[in-house]
Amino acid sequence: MTNALPVIARRLVPMLIALALDAWMFSFAPVHAIGPSWMLLLLAALACFWVLWQPAGMRRDDFLPALAVLLSGLGVMLVARLSPHLAQRQLVWLLVSLVLAISAGPFFSTIRRLAAVKYIWVILSLIFFGLLVLFGREVNGAKLWIVLGPVRYEPVEIIKLCIVFFLAAYLSETGDVIAMTRPWSIRENAKYLGPLLLGWLPALIILILQHDIGMAALLLAVFASMLYAATRRIDLVLGGLCVFALCAWFALHHYGYVQTRVSVWLHPFADPLGRGYQSAQAYFSLAAGGLFGTGYRLGHPEFIPNVANDYVYAAFSEEFGALGGLVLLWLFGVLAFRMFAVAVAQPDLFAKLLALGMGATLAFQTVVITGGVVGLFPLTGITLPFVSYGGSSLLANFLLVALVWAISARPMTWSRESSASSS
Amino acid sequence: MTDRAILRIRVVLVLALLAIAGRQLYVQLIAAPTISAVPTNPRRHLADAGRGRILASDGTPLAQTVSGVRVYSMHGAAAQLIGYDSVRYGTSGIEDAYNAALEPATRSGDPFAQWQALVDAFQGKPASVHGADVITTISPTITRVLAEQLSRYPRGAGVVLDARTGAVLAMVSQPTFDPNTIDTTFAKTVLLKQSPLLNRAIDGEYPPGSTFKILTASAAIDSGTFTPQSHFYDPGYLHIGSFTLHDNEGEATGSQTLTGAFALSSNVDFARVGMKLGVDTFYEYLHRFDVGASLDFQLPATVSHIPDPKDLSDGELAQLAFGQGALTVSPLQMALIAAAVANGGKEPRPYVVRDVLRDGVHVGTVTPSTLAIPITADTAAAVTKMMVAVVKFGTGTTAALPGVTVAGKTGTATNPLGRPHSWFVCFAPADAPRVVVAVVVENAGYGATVAAPIARAVLASALKVVR
Repeated sequence: MTNALPVIARRLVPMLIALALDAWMFSFAPVHAIGPSWMLLLLAALACFWVLWQPAGMRRDDFLPALAVLLSGLGVMLVARLSPHLAQRQLVWLLVSLVLAISAGPFFSTIRRLAAVKYIWVILSLIFFGLLVLFGREVNGAKLWIVLGPVRYEPVEIIKLCIVFFLAAYLSETGDVIAMTRPWSIRENAKYLGPLLLGWLPALIILILQHDIGMAALLLAVFASMLYAATRRIDLVLGGLCVFALCAWFALHHYGYVQTRVSVWLHPFADPLGRGYQSAQAYFSLAAGGLFGTGYRLGHPEFIPNVANDYVYAAFSEEFGALGGLVLLWLFGVLAFRMFAVAVAQPDLFAKLLALGMGATLAFQTVVITGGVVGLFPLTGITLPFVSYGGSSLLANFLLVALVWAISARPMTWSRESSASSS
Repeated sequence: MTDRAILRIRVVLVLALLAIAGRQLYVQLIAAPTISAVPTNPRRHLADAGRGRILASDGTPLAQTVSGVRVYSMHGAAAQLIGYDSVRYGTSGIEDAYNAALEPATRSGDPFAQWQALVDAFQGKPASVHGADVITTISPTITRVLAEQLSRYPRGAGVVLDARTGAVLAMVSQPTFDPNTIDTTFAKTVLLKQSPLLNRAIDGEYPPGSTFKILTASAAIDSGTFTPQSHFYDPGYLHIGSFTLHDNEGEATGSQTLTGAFALSSNVDFARVGMKLGVDTFYEYLHRFDVGASLDFQLPATVSHIPDPKDLSDGELAQLAFGQGALTVSPLQMALIAAAVANGGKEPRPYVVRDVLRDGVHVGTVTPSTLAIPITADTAAAVTKMMVAVVKFGTGTTAALPGVTVAGKTGTATNPLGRPHSWFVCFAPADAPRVVVAVVVENAGYGATVAAPIARAVLASALKVVR
């Protein structure tokens, strides 16, 4: 094939740029905090293999895996600065994530075959919840972790992908019917929305019972986005918002931990050494950063409890300033926009909704955590995709990107005849 | 249709990201100073960790941070001059005036300093995590002697200058406080009526009394109106209009030359000198000595108060001539007037910080300079002779030192708050002055009995230190 070299180059260039930027960032990290070097070379080789190993004759959005690698490299750099020990673990998780993302590639390439399978995803997510109840361990007051020997996993990160699968499968079938249904016809609405809610609500309720408000809010936002995209019915979205507002109001008056979160959000310095400690420390961190930041490793984000997880964005904004924060937000925006563009380009509704749902998951997870960190709304503890320390989140988000990347495959212009839409 | 919905979701996402960006800019730029100032902010302690030192002229650390705690080696002596750096109560003195230099650049919150740090990082320069060292002209030895002398009285102040350069060798204000314990004692200290936090040496407002005759005598001779041999007669009182003034230091001095009147501190004779000079000439010399102009010092210093010449009566002018009436000065102001005489008519610009040392580089070297040239060298020599007479046979014999000719002037400044303030202003050796001392002790009586012996002890120690 005469075009092989340019094709390889085109597939490789975004990833090589991302790897070069990662290497540049790592060069500022504390000595021996990131490494050993064979590990880094292995990871870089895997990343290159990831983008090279794709079906011939197709063209994918190769910026998606490159952005994932760039952001996770940024995450490793930040975690290394906060805790070298965690950085080592994060590198191992990165290895696992890359291997799984590569292995899942062939499966993701044929994902459209699964359009008809709906409830398997619900069952899968309920199985994960079941595992959580049986083997779960409580950390920081919430039972969110499955512990198997040295490995701790937060199944909710995988459950969030299962829910997107279910919603995409169900809505691609019934979306048009729901769109045609008159809003005031309760029986008809119930007929099609009922199973949808049955599949989705248990996950939400379990999350709320486990006090994982951040993930619940994320699921709600993703649900609203996909429902709106599939049905174009704004009344359902508004109705959902009203239900959310009522639930929030109810929770505020009946659950102490919700009350605490809100009062800390409204008055971060009212109890700066008690309940408001974490929030106050995050504000001090942000304030120390200013516009340009203190510079990498010159700030003191280590005062924030749990900084590598929930507050990694505060640590980043202290050392890289508000400008650095804006650049990071912009990167996430670019990633989400490219995923939405993939969705728009899909001819079939299932793949379209899947790409949209995955893009929305990533985008709104970023919004929920960064908005919480800067105090736009109460903080709910979820990870900043790719950047926060946490293997569960890293793995899930790599699979998410790998999936959308696989969906983005379209025939190359010079071999248009070789493939049509596969569904 | 679905695609249009996706585009709308995109708009929602952009709006959400913009809201976050707006909130973040607000927190990090506009609210940041308020947030940083919250007392529980641990970064305020950290900023101290890299804070530069304040060094004495011999390199002794006067203020330095040892394992997170600011340590002041002089304790109460010169506490107002060196100042304090408190997490809770901010900064004062040199700690305040040189705060920007002492603070590590990256933590000062100054965007330009942060930008500079960024540029340095790109150029591979090591990050400046330490603030600069501030090198002062303070002599710990002289400061201790002055502080020890003044500590025997409830209130007072003293300034020791290098006569040739204007360098502050010591500056003490009594009562004082210990800056090492300011965090726990500030609330109590600030309420005390004696105001220990006030630096009386630069912010005290005292009538100078007869020490001001140094300026009057300088004006008298420099303007050519009088010579040291001009003849006077003092019966002990003087009628000016309906007002009668009396001598308060010496008794009636009778028939004297100007030198004699100066040495015995005749108010009556100097009232006559003032009235003969007239408002215009007298005020010209006030301006020449920079009295009443803002003192160009590295720390904020109170401006001397002089009455408006436009509606000045003869009686009020007469009072000004011997340092009473609506005239107030600081001890630093009096030291500078004496320094002008000691320095052959050139009034040196006072300074206490002589250099700022950042990462081994001198970035704030101060070159001694002249503030004003109020009188000629001949006048200065004549006034010096008169001041020597004060210590030899006049009111200031208690300031005499063996083997050294001391030139000085006593002052006994009446004031509405009680007994007169005891003043002494001097320099030595008279033929080649090296050290100027100005001392005031509040409500302590005659200059000769209280301030002059203090000045003498300080001179003795200072002349050993300053070569």
